[in-house]
Amino acid sequence: MSDDLYHDALVALARAATGAGRLEAASASATRDNPLCGDRVTFDVRVESGRVAALAHRVRGCVVCQAAAAFLASAAPGRGRSELAAARGQVAAMLEDGAAPPPGAWEGLRIFEPVGTVRSRHGCVLLPFDTLDDALRGAEE
Amino acid sequence: MRRELLAELRRDLAAKRTAVVATRLDSGESAILHPDGGDASGAGGPGDAELLARAREAALRDQSCTVDTAAGPVFLRVFNPPVRLVVVGAVHVAQALAPMARLAGYDVLVVDPRRSFAAEERFRGIALSREWPDEALARLGPDRRTAIVTMTHDPKIDDPALVAALRSEAFYVGALGSRKTQAARKDRLREQGFGDADLTRIDGPVGLAIGSVSPGEIAVSILSQLVARLRLSRDAAPAGR
Repeated sequence: MSDDLYHDALVALARAATGAGRLEAASASATRDNPLCGDRVTFDVRVESGRVAALAHRVRGCVVCQAAAAFLASAAPGRGRSELAAARGQVAAMLEDGAAPPPGAWEGLRIFEPVGTVRSRHGCVLLPFDTLDDALRGAEE
Repeated sequence: MRRELLAELRRDLAAKRTAVVATRLDSGESAILHPDGGDASGAGGPGDAELLARAREAALRDQSCTVDTAAGPVFLRVFNPPVRLVVVGAVHVAQALAPMARLAGYDVLVVDPRRSFAAEERFRGIALSREWPDEALARLGPDRRTAIVTMTHDPKIDDPALVAALRSEAFYVGALGSRKTQAARKDRLREQGFGDADLTRIDGPVGLAIGSVSPGEIAVSILSQLVARLRLSRDAAPAGR
């Protein structure tokens, strides 16, 4: 994996913008922003039997933030809130403590490994995770 | 001035719409013209197409005047809404520029999606928006009496503002940043389809060359350049930084 923050795979993931848009008949929506850099993420989710059935997102932000939202659009469907919270914990550990990227289903998070060296940008990866969690919590209420 | 005319003028001023009161000097008959509106209201008074065109010129110059028409001399009294200044980036220079521009009589809005910058306590009494600048500009609809200055130093925020500014009729488009930054910025804007004619509209490095150093001094140089762009022809304006 490249040490460059904006390596090709990350840029490609952001450009693909998987899941970008609005979701009709969403169970819940949530928006969060980063007060330091202005990045803003909105997630719409439809939840069925406690699992993500469909989602869509709108991101105003940097390439890293766009890539993280696109990653979740691919990885989150079929998963429940606690599973996603665990993945958030793993990606935070990878960024902050240099922990090994999670194996298995979340292996794709490796793409964000180079962000770990730039502390000020950790939030760019985590913002979509936290926003999605807000939306899923909203869907439970 | 008739009472109903005055009421109409007050509505125009409240709606921040340019109004020109046309008064025939021979009869004293008055009507309100709206040179920026699609409607040629004022018809029936001295409001024909030619007069509307003259009213538009007067409004552009921001100067009342008497014009000769086939029907005799007509006095055109211009009522322009305040010039608007949209400052993108709630940074130090903006903290100085916003109150200065307000004192100069302009309507000021500071836009910054970064909440830690766009904090009320940093901009007492100044209108603040935490929208992304292109969203704010789409809502505001910049016109010929709008100035837009970007100062976040973050292309992610400045570039969308400049794109919206260049697609509008804004009379002043300024971008804070060094010469090197400006060159890179112009390359990115070219990639988005803008040509040299568009890019020369951007004053950057922003401000007049008055040797300003501190945020307050830089604000003075920007405000001076804004006035020059508003009141002088491009050739007559003093040199930029």
